[in-house]
Amino acid sequence: MSRKEELLNLLKDKLRGKFLAGSSLEDKRLFIDIKKEALVETASLLMKEGARYQMGVGYEAKKNGQGLAMVHTFAFDADSLLVAIRALTTEDKPEFDSLTPFIPGAGWSEREYIDLLGLHFKNHPNPKRLVLSDDWPEGIYPLRQDVPYDLMPPSAEEVAFRLDEAPPGSSIIPFGPFHACLHEPAHFAVYVDGEEIKGCEYRGFMVHRGIEKLAATELTYNEIPFVAERICGICGSVHSVNYAQAVEAASGLKIPRRAEFIRTIMLEIERLHSHLMWLGVAGHLIGFDTVFMQAWRIREKIMWLAESLTGNRKTYGMVIVGGVRRDIDLTKADLIKKTLSEVEKDMLALEKAIIKDKAIHRRTKGVGYLSREKAVEWNLVGPVARARGLDMDARRDHRYAAYDEVKFDVVVADSSDVWGTLVVRIKEIYEAIKIIHQCLGKLASELQGSPLAIEIEGSIPAGQQGLSVVEAPRGEAVHYVLTGDDNRPERWRVRAPTYPNLQAVPDMLLNNKLADFPIIVGSIDPCISCTDRVAVIDRKTAADRILSRQELEKLSREVRSKT
Amino acid sequence: MKVVAVFVNLIYFLLLAPFLEGVMRKLTAWIQSRKGPPLYQPYLDLLKLLGKENLNSGGNWAFRLAPILSFSSMLAAIALIPLTGQANILAHSSDLMTLIYFLTLSGFCLLVGALGSGNPFAAVGASREMMTTVMLEPVLAMLLILGTVRIGSFSLSAAVSGVAVSRGVSYFLMLVVYLLALQAFAARQPFDIAEAEVEILEGPYMEYSGPNYALLRYTLNLKRMFYAWLLVSCFLSFILPANFLFSLLLQTVLIIVVFILISLIGATHPRFRIDQALKYYALLLILALIAVGLAVKGW
Repeated sequence: MSRKEELLNLLKDKLRGKFLAGSSLEDKRLFIDIKKEALVETASLLMKEGARYQMGVGYEAKKNGQGLAMVHTFAFDADSLLVAIRALTTEDKPEFDSLTPFIPGAGWSEREYIDLLGLHFKNHPNPKRLVLSDDWPEGIYPLRQDVPYDLMPPSAEEVAFRLDEAPPGSSIIPFGPFHACLHEPAHFAVYVDGEEIKGCEYRGFMVHRGIEKLAATELTYNEIPFVAERICGICGSVHSVNYAQAVEAASGLKIPRRAEFIRTIMLEIERLHSHLMWLGVAGHLIGFDTVFMQAWRIREKIMWLAESLTGNRKTYGMVIVGGVRRDIDLTKADLIKKTLSEVEKDMLALEKAIIKDKAIHRRTKGVGYLSREKAVEWNLVGPVARARGLDMDARRDHRYAAYDEVKFDVVVADSSDVWGTLVVRIKEIYEAIKIIHQCLGKLASELQGSPLAIEIEGSIPAGQQGLSVVEAPRGEAVHYVLTGDDNRPERWRVRAPTYPNLQAVPDMLLNNKLADFPIIVGSIDPCISCTDRVAVIDRKTAADRILSRQELEKLSREVRSKT
Repeated sequence: MKVVAVFVNLIYFLLLAPFLEGVMRKLTAWIQSRKGPPLYQPYLDLLKLLGKENLNSGGNWAFRLAPILSFSSMLAAIALIPLTGQANILAHSSDLMTLIYFLTLSGFCLLVGALGSGNPFAAVGASREMMTTVMLEPVLAMLLILGTVRIGSFSLSAAVSGVAVSRGVSYFLMLVVYLLALQAFAARQPFDIAEAEVEILEGPYMEYSGPNYALLRYTLNLKRMFYAWLLVSCFLSFILPANFLFSLLLQTVLIIVVFILISLIGATHPRFRIDQALKYYALLLILALIAVGLAVKGW
């Protein structure tokens, strides 16, 4: 009996009448419907079985007259299994039991839907506003279906987020929303006693763009990959591949093998780019600008390579539902090989300089320490988790694209600090190069002349669930798709790796020095736009109108004709 | 002639200091595989800043006056020094304590301005600067006292020329201490802790703009050049020729060499944390004390 059947039987057995349905189109997925009273019981059963909490997805299932739904997804990494449990509640009593008391990592997922759907979570320890801007009026829940995607409530002037009081004896140093060590807007109110950090409160979600709502109201299945790619400027392919995989899973589409290899190559090129960029930023954050410049010099080669392959230095635009748009032929493969050998050579030299530098050891070893147990508790992912001895990697644990056919090592360190994340990321650069070489070999030999994409035949039936993970450079990214009518998903939820990792940052900061704040926050490689990706067009500024493309073109022509 | 020497001091420092920053920026750029700005860029930066608006974001006189006071204290300190070993007219009314006093005053004014700005990052920067000053000024004092001990006079030219009078154990120990402290005196990596851009956004300088910021930058340039000059004229005075012009020329070359050293160390080290730096300074202080002790014994 497979692990999946075991779990299914266990839940059926324990929940009895509260178990409604269990379905799984796919091999490695399990979608379960339960009564809402059983939410806590089910979740704790799964956690006891060794699950790792991933994310919550809330949506309004009004179309089917079902009220409001909450999905929680869990991963069983050792068994390559993803489990989603779904419960429904009625609109007049939109309440669920909170999972946060025993899964701290669920805190944000639940707070998000307090804001966006007007749900209540009984026993949530900190039901503060998370996503919506400070002046968003009470009682408008942007993800509800009767709220239009372009709703703009009037902005209010004299409202501010109520930050918690600093603990006695400490003062607040505000990091953000704009600060040299943060590359995107986010606010950390850091409590310091002298130079020592005594805690911090995070207020983020300042750059959400309403992408999910847009996808559910305006876009179609085939348009979304290009919007998904723009969720993040660094791991764009991660999101477009991830979305495409979720839709393909929901519709039972099997894409050509060659496309899967090309996707893998692009994902690994993206990882190379991302890790080199991080390395540079990390150098900058500890005041070591030579590392910054050298790492970015190497990174530049990757960007040139990407431009020759896709036409863009970043945001490749390669992925569509059903496959990829461009081929990697033999000339391009040669170019990749040439670039990679240069990158590898440069990287070895840089690594030698970094690994041996005692001064870097002093600034990173023991800094931002978070124990392995805490890392499990916060469901950390990616290099941040692997630096804490957690041997997990979605590429190996939940094989997707062509990762089932390539050999690579999952790099793990056990120092549980910033140094660990540095080592893991540097080593992963070589693993990525290894993977790309293997993929190129396959493309050149067995997969010559195979098609790049296939069309979806007919329309995708509504109400199907798809769940996909991709190991982004920063960790596991999760996409959930619930298919809908009108050629678009009813709900598409993105959870970027920074989402869980950022929640653990206050714990990492505790009792460190103020001077280490930048590198500790930097060690998770925070991607704020990915994390803030949610809900509704939210223009805080006074700008009341956005020019349409036609208007912009008209204006630019006028200017040109004048000069 | 002795009156003219004061102006020579000032003009020499004011003209050369920005150029040395240019050297530093160019070299750092080369190490980082960049082209880097032209050597005269710092002059343009200062000119540009002088043409901009002063924002009085601190809203009080302390914040407004601090830069000019800091700058003029620095100039006062420079006016006193025996540029090529020759005492100038101010030597009659000053000694090494006057020099240390003006140097400290310059740094102190920067602190007052930082605290006057009311910015929390500037305050953190100021507290770091303060700790640094408390630990480093004594090292400077020890160096000059070493010279004083040798010659037996409190005059500045005696203190400066006295260091290398006899080159025994104490001379070499002090040289090591000074070289180790050089980077901290120059406030370059790994000791640019009080400014630390990514942590506290240039700290004390954060709220300054326009001419006031230009003055503070100029002060920093002068300060760096002063410590480079001190290294050359304390420890290498015996190789400087007697002719004033040749001496000045050789001194300039040596100062540029010191700046090359500062750039190299700066570009190859990450920043220290203040707690790590303080431990380092404490070690330097102890070594400097030992050097003075040895000098008293005549070693």
